[in-house]
Amino acid sequence: MPNISPLKPYQLHIISVFMATSIFFSGCATTPPPVELIAVSRAAVNDANLAGANELAPVQFKSAVEKIDGAEVAMVKKDYALARQLAEQAQVDAKLATAMARSAKARKAADAVQEDSRVLSQEIGRKTK
Amino acid sequence: MKKPYIIIAPLVIALLSGCATHPINQSLAEAHNSYNTARTNPQITSLASLELKDASDTLSKADAAFDKGESLATVNQLSYIAYQQVRIAQETAFRKTDEQSVANASAKRDQVRLAARTAEADSAKHEVAIIQETANIQAAELAAASANAEHDQQIISKQEKQLKELNAKQTKRGLVITIGDVLFSSSKAELKSGGIHNVRKLSTFLDEYPKYRVLIEGYTDNTGNDDSNQTLSEQRADAVKTALIDSGIASDRILTRGYGKEFPVARNNNSSNRQQNRRVEIVLSDENGNISVR
Repeated sequence: MPNISPLKPYQLHIISVFMATSIFFSGCATTPPPVELIAVSRAAVNDANLAGANELAPVQFKSAVEKIDGAEVAMVKKDYALARQLAEQAQVDAKLATAMARSAKARKAADAVQEDSRVLSQEIGRKTK
Repeated sequence: MKKPYIIIAPLVIALLSGCATHPINQSLAEAHNSYNTARTNPQITSLASLELKDASDTLSKADAAFDKGESLATVNQLSYIAYQQVRIAQETAFRKTDEQSVANASAKRDQVRLAARTAEADSAKHEVAIIQETANIQAAELAAASANAEHDQQIISKQEKQLKELNAKQTKRGLVITIGDVLFSSSKAELKSGGIHNVRKLSTFLDEYPKYRVLIEGYTDNTGNDDSNQTLSEQRADAVKTALIDSGIASDRILTRGYGKEFPVARNNNSSNRQQNRRVEIVLSDENGNISVR
């Protein structure tokens, strides 16, 4: 029966310090998983889609989708720094896409109303003649 | 030897100030440019101030990160976000401007509609006024017509009364006034005063209604020879005519005929009937002077 001698106290101490240090360092080296950020960014992309950005701001919308997808892939790969970076960009791109879609709609509404107004004035002008 | 210091000092200052300003980072510079452009646009500062503040905050973080010498990735990331936030501010300003113009346009449209409705209402009011005026005129005309009718009615009834006084009788030939034999001197063509009185009444009537004309016809009974009867009938008719002319009636309004014993009104079988046949009949024309001669 081999003698499995227990570790001496000072050895234990060294190991525990080593482990603690390694955990500490690994914690420092990796970014914590940006779960909340990913969720918020994904929601921003969905909002953009609902605002019609897919049609009204296709370039910005596509960029946002690609980035949030990329962020989720990075999450799976545990590359949290990349995930955070892509998610932040996806969020701001999605917000821009939403803003552009809404401004495009407002532009259309303004044009339509202006046309209506023109037609109305014309009609009334004709009626009173 | 103080001169070298004088030369070196500006160099040192230049070097230090060069260090103090940010060394060139492409994306950070772009974000600053973009932000500075937006900040001078009053449309953006007034309509998208919150969005612009977001961009400004992010830009400050980017500057801070750059100053602290943080990684290029971090600076670039913050610069990119700031740049996009400026664009969001721009789009927001565009949107609000258009939304305002929509709101203004619909207000303007309401105004145009209101003006049109007012014009329509005025026009309708004007039409109503015209209709009212027309109705008033018609009512006035109706009243005038009614007054005229009343007036006419008065004239007619007056005329009727006058004709009645003349003892005019309605016959197929029109109104006929008979002056009997008793009003003439016996077998002569002279009117007695009673006959003259009748003729005066007639002349008053003719005076009043200048369009009327008269046909004076003399008749006799069947006694005596036809020639003398014919002559007497003509002379008696002429006598009446003369009396009318004497009363001021124009001769061209008076026709005379003598018919002798023709057209008796009674059988000549006794003196009373014969007296009836000895007569002068005055036929009144219609109101336009038309008269039917036998």
